[in-house]
Amino acid sequence: MLKVAVIGAGTMGSAHSEAYVNMSDTVLVGIVDIREDVGRNLAESQRTNYYKSFEDLIASESPDLIDVCVPTSLHREYVEKAAKSKKHVICEKPLARNLEDARAMIKICKEEGVKLFVAQVVRFFPDYQKIYRLVAEQKLGKIGTVRTMRGGVFPTAWDDWYANVEKSGTLIVDMIIHDFDFLRWCFGDVERVFAKSHLGRDFNRIDHTFVSLRFKNGVIAHVEGSWAYPSGFKTEIEIAGSNGVLIHNSEDAVPIRSTLRENSLHISGVAVPESPLKTGPYQVELEHFVSCIINGTDPIVTAEDGFKALEISLAALESVKTGKVVALKEVD
Amino acid sequence: MKVGILSFAHMHAYSYAEALNEISGVELFGIADENEERGKNAANQYKTNYFHDYHDLLKEDIDAVIICSENSRHKEMTIAAAKAGKHILCEKPLATSVEDAQSMIETCKKYGVKLQTAFPVRFNPPVQRVKQMIDNGELGRIVAIRGTNRGQNPGGWFIEEELSGGGAVLDHTVHVVDLMRWFMNSEVKEVYAEVDTVFNDIQIDDCGLLMLEFENGVFASHDPSWSRCKTFPTWGDVTMEIVGTNGVVHLDAFNQHFMVYNDADHKVNQEFWGNSYDLGLVEDFIHCLKEDREPSITGFDGLKAMEVAIKAYESAKMKKPIRIRNE
Ligand SMILES: NC(=O)c1ccc[n+]([C@@H]2O[C@H](COP(=O)([O-])OP(=O)(O)OC[C@H]3O[C@@H](n4cnc5c(N)ncnc54)[C@H](O)[C@@H]3O)[C@@H](O)[C@H]2O)c1
Repeated sequence: MLKVAVIGAGTMGSAHSEAYVNMSDTVLVGIVDIREDVGRNLAESQRTNYYKSFEDLIASESPDLIDVCVPTSLHREYVEKAAKSKKHVICEKPLARNLEDARAMIKICKEEGVKLFVAQVVRFFPDYQKIYRLVAEQKLGKIGTVRTMRGGVFPTAWDDWYANVEKSGTLIVDMIIHDFDFLRWCFGDVERVFAKSHLGRDFNRIDHTFVSLRFKNGVIAHVEGSWAYPSGFKTEIEIAGSNGVLIHNSEDAVPIRSTLRENSLHISGVAVPESPLKTGPYQVELEHFVSCIINGTDPIVTAEDGFKALEISLAALESVKTGKVVALKEVD
Repeated sequence: MKVGILSFAHMHAYSYAEALNEISGVELFGIADENEERGKNAANQYKTNYFHDYHDLLKEDIDAVIICSENSRHKEMTIAAAKAGKHILCEKPLATSVEDAQSMIETCKKYGVKLQTAFPVRFNPPVQRVKQMIDNGELGRIVAIRGTNRGQNPGGWFIEEELSGGGAVLDHTVHVVDLMRWFMNSEVKEVYAEVDTVFNDIQIDDCGLLMLEFENGVFASHDPSWSRCKTFPTWGDVTMEIVGTNGVVHLDAFNQHFMVYNDADHKVNQEFWGNSYDLGLVEDFIHCLKEDREPSITGFDGLKAMEVAIKAYESAKMKKPIRIRNE
């Protein structure tokens, strides 16, 4: 049994906590959050303990693994604390808000001899895993163009931190890093980036971005991200090759659509789509990291991959700011 | 009203011929095509006169012509038609260079004939509805647009640069850029593009990605690739996602179709049942002649859309964004 503690009781902290409770190899020993009410609520619903500080948690529970689910710009602080207390760490994506922090986090975990995992969860979505395999098996022939879309409504979170460029890096650093990581997994490193977004065009809580990526292997990708929809969330991916075209839209892959009359269980009459899986991708991801710790094996996504994905995000952000094409560095 | 068609090199000539036959008070007077077999077959099919040399058709008493030649011949035919005093509906792209398009526009002006660029997608009812939503302010202020006009490799003269002037990027950029310009009344001021040949073993570009910035501050992207494989259930698409301050609209212009699975043809097909937009285009052209008004889609519109594709090639070569001057 691995003793796990979660730092940050927001959206991600809640999802991860629930996963640890459901998993057979883990026990959730504690939750830390600066907001006592939110932290206590989550701890109570998952039948675990709330701690006001990281230090109290370590002293009382001596966990084996720390899962960092605080806003991005705070990742480094907690990863360093965990490493110095000789605890393995899972850190939410993006690994950090800047490359300096990301590099320092990788370094200290290495020095302290603890493992650092980055939660690039898209690699654990069964649909995306299948796409990865089809590409790897060259089922579509030579790939020419790839298009992805991810987004929906502007996210609501503690202190509206997603609206703060310094903290979140906009949807380019925060959200479409998922697609950058996935595409790097499929197609290797990126040569150059050109991007447009609303950064600097002052719309309140509306953001949208188009990113052009040219991979070293020649693939041309269009990565779109949106925080401009009035509601909802969706993903799309299309890969076109010399032998065929693959199209996958989350809104189409819906095995259940129910439209139920208002009753005691359902408050509204709107259609509700559902796509249930035996085990959700977040839990699959955490189970994988936990098994890497227990068995001493390598993860399918490394902290270095997290660093590389962040590099692409920051190159895109730079392109937005300068209006220029940004070439990725050969080696860091 | 009598209309001639100059060349059947472009397959749209067939649906324009059908459209002419459907409009009352209009006669398809003749077809000119240097490719005798193709021209005679078409003349037979539409029960009209055949001319080998288009100059001979221009000598006849016709009011207007529709030009469906290879792109690189649009200029020569347009100028000859203008000098013969015939109004012109010219297939897109208007020309293969900005200079050619300019001289076509100037010649038509000089000889007092109308020049309309064939952008039939403007007559697709879903497209028109979206235009109306934008004009009504239903989307609020537009902040970004994503377009696609994917297709299959058309082969033939389309992939010979001397005749087509360019591959997928020229062929499939102009429709959607025209719609963006029309929707916003704004010109493209910057183009960045990636262009390549990947899907086919051909000499001309078959894929690309354009990143655009408009004078009004809206940014856009566009995918003109011939990326639809042979088994794809339809030829391609025209789609747009328009992001506004009040919400987002998705347009899939030809998504008025159903699926047909057919063992005899070994094919899965999307059968389109929406309105013919080619008919809409030709009707509009005829109306503009009858009413003696400015064409609803001018030669200038054709030039500006084509210019974006030309700059895209330049950008891809230079690996940097290219500015476009608009007066
Ligand atoms: N993998 C995914 O799909 C996914 C989805 C959403 C968010 N994320 C990432 O997860 C991280 C958290 O995002 P979120 O949406 O859960 O944010 P959130 O605002 O919902 O949650 C953050 C929590 O951290 C707490 N917090 C703030 N400062 C703290 C501190 N100094 N110490 C302890 N707790 C503190 C806040 O009170 C809040 O409860 C971010 O890095 C984000 O990018 C990943």
